[in-house]
Amino acid sequence: MRTTDDPVLARVLDVIRANALEIVPDADPQAVVPHSSLADIGANSIDRADIVAMTMEQLGIVVPVAEFAQVRDIGTLAELLRRHLP
Amino acid sequence: MNASAAYGIEQLNVYAGLAQIPVPALFAGRGLDPQRLDNLRMRNRSVGLPFEDPVTNAVNAARPIIDRLTPEERDAIELLITSTESGLDLSKSVASYVHEYLGLSRNCRMFEVKQACYGATGALQLAVGYLASGVAPGAKALVIATDVALVDARAGYAEPATGHGAVALLVGADPGVLAVDLGAYGTYGYETLDSARPTPEFDIADVDRSLFAYLDCLSNSFRDYTCRVADVDFVRTFPYLALHTPFVGLVRAAHRKMMREAGRSTGAVEADFHRRVWPSLVYPAQVGNLCSGSVYLALASLLDQATPAESTRVGLYSYGSGCASEFFSGVVDAESTRRVAAMGIGAHLARRRAVDFDTYTRLLEETRHVLRPEADRRVDIDPYADFLQPQRPLLVHTGTKQFHRRYEWC
Repeated sequence: MRTTDDPVLARVLDVIRANALEIVPDADPQAVVPHSSLADIGANSIDRADIVAMTMEQLGIVVPVAEFAQVRDIGTLAELLRRHLP
Repeated sequence: MNASAAYGIEQLNVYAGLAQIPVPALFAGRGLDPQRLDNLRMRNRSVGLPFEDPVTNAVNAARPIIDRLTPEERDAIELLITSTESGLDLSKSVASYVHEYLGLSRNCRMFEVKQACYGATGALQLAVGYLASGVAPGAKALVIATDVALVDARAGYAEPATGHGAVALLVGADPGVLAVDLGAYGTYGYETLDSARPTPEFDIADVDRSLFAYLDCLSNSFRDYTCRVADVDFVRTFPYLALHTPFVGLVRAAHRKMMREAGRSTGAVEADFHRRVWPSLVYPAQVGNLCSGSVYLALASLLDQATPAESTRVGLYSYGSGCASEFFSGVVDAESTRRVAAMGIGAHLARRRAVDFDTYTRLLEETRHVLRPEADRRVDIDPYADFLQPQRPLLVHTGTKQFHRRYEWC
């Protein structure tokens, strides 16, 4: 996924990355990339809920829980959140 | 109606079975990653025996409360509601058996409710509102949350967090355990399939969706509470909190999220957690998730551990998958501490026999079919007689005859 094509998507990815590294301080920053999952970088189930909640809060959006079913990795999470931005 | 009258929980008792397995032993037996124990923060979990079911758990939780009542007080119980996600029949309620074995009045209204781990709170709120309406002066209600665990290795990390047992709440106008703040509540719910029990032998648990919905509903039910009650602050208004506890680690995350939303600094979170929340988690960490009884197990833990001596407000949160939730509050005091201590819940938990992993898996082979409808079945008590506690009579399930469930006192 080329993030540079879409500056808004790049910003969403930045927010996810910053929150992931705050919640999982031991994660390798190089590993927080679109094709990794949050579980891959060592986030447990609570961490994942925390990262997503913080990201939505900072972006000022609310995404219905059911829509997260389609999320497979950090990239698809970012795309989902991106779609809910005004 | 007397406008100054208080209503709420008069007595609270917990029955969490007769057996428990140390959670590290369950992790080792299933080959689960021991590093994740820290996230779960569970010490033991209650384990069901073949002669236990939702009826025996309910009756064994409520009997010590009933035994303390005079015959007149017992007959004042005009409403019995069982809350369970372990229903035994699509038509006949668990309440009908519970009514019989508790010897309640034939003029008692009885039924069963279901809304995953939220059911008992919905029942409590309706019971409190009903009694407060004044249509049945002097009446009491009995709300019992009762469940059994069906999880096995397929449940992954949910297996070590799932409990077994029941919580009984006697509700009335002498709310010595918890005086419910009438009208102070917030609710939030919507349809989602985060966890469910589509058959009598199988649980669905979508962990990520469930944790997310729990946290989402906490924020939103609390927001609804603040719309109904003036000048509420998540920290100042509630010196103690008791939250539905699927596992201890989730409550920690929920508290952290609420503190963040209340504008508190990260540095304040840990000390606040230990002061306001930790006392409520001691029993849940020894029992596991008691479904809709979980928040009341947390309340019992809070009262036994923090032993409040003065009038103190508690914030309570109930969440049930599917999903429905409620944030509400009530007041506890020295009398609450005294009444719950008199039930000896900590001693009951300590008396459960520890089983090793091999015994646990053998038990699971029998107990995970406890809800499967079978016309005729005999349950042999003798191999498990050592688990029975001589301290008090316990109801046991002895089998079914033409689908009619049979019970005996031991």
